[in-house]
Amino acid sequence: MRFFSQSFVYDDSWSIVALAFFLRYPNPYASHVISCDVISREQTPSGSLVTTRLILKKGAMPRWFPKGIVSRAESWVIEESEVDPFGKVVRCVTKNLDHVKVMQVEESVQFAQNAEGKTLQHTEARIVSRFGWGLTKKIENHGLTRFKANMQRSREGVSLILSLIRESRLQPM
Amino acid sequence: MSQSLSSECTPLKKEYDSCFNSWFEGYLEPAVANSKSPEVRAAYSKQKADEFNLKCGKIWEQYRTCVQVQQAVKEKGLDKLLQQAREENPLVDPIPPLPTQPSSK
Repeated sequence: MRFFSQSFVYDDSWSIVALAFFLRYPNPYASHVISCDVISREQTPSGSLVTTRLILKKGAMPRWFPKGIVSRAESWVIEESEVDPFGKVVRCVTKNLDHVKVMQVEESVQFAQNAEGKTLQHTEARIVSRFGWGLTKKIENHGLTRFKANMQRSREGVSLILSLIRESRLQPM
Repeated sequence: MSQSLSSECTPLKKEYDSCFNSWFEGYLEPAVANSKSPEVRAAYSKQKADEFNLKCGKIWEQYRTCVQVQQAVKEKGLDKLLQQAREENPLVDPIPPLPTQPSSK
């Protein structure tokens, strides 16, 4: 198992970051996202919004990976999120539904308003392979490297959406 | 807004998404922020749910039915995986505060 965590502060307020997060597909930094559907969406009595989305992502197997095991380099991802507009917190957990024996990546991310009215993003990821054949460690390390690179792209994607929202609201930072 | 998993549903999805998004912008900023009162939260939840149903309820039903009728989810063998994932990871609220978050109270 590989574990990774990172925090990051957006200068924007929580509500705009939360909006950008849900609007983040499609964007030029997420061309690997093929489809994204809302499977269920409900409001809880406590005022939170709970959403399940099903996302299909394109992937690429590393060259050293044995041929013929993964027939298509696509992966279904489930994203469960909860938005609490009173506490100003978004919590979101995503994980891949297929190829889980090769590698499962579980990511949890929170967006919370901080004392300065900015938005703190905290991300944690667990990367587990049960592949065996002496490749488990190599697969997990590869997954971790990819996760870190993707996180950077993902943040650029959210930042781009943020600037588009700001522009449309004509509220320069 | 990205594609639906079934191309038949993509136009409905796009219409739903844009309706939801404009509702969501308002939802994110309750007039009484940071309320711990269950009554205030419940009233807000009810009010926003009614507003959503009025504005987007119809398109949401159409979009959801489309995805189900296409049986895209089932055909792709996802229903079991989905069920499993949700049992493993049930969401319960309210959300506990971040341990690393400086208190905003």
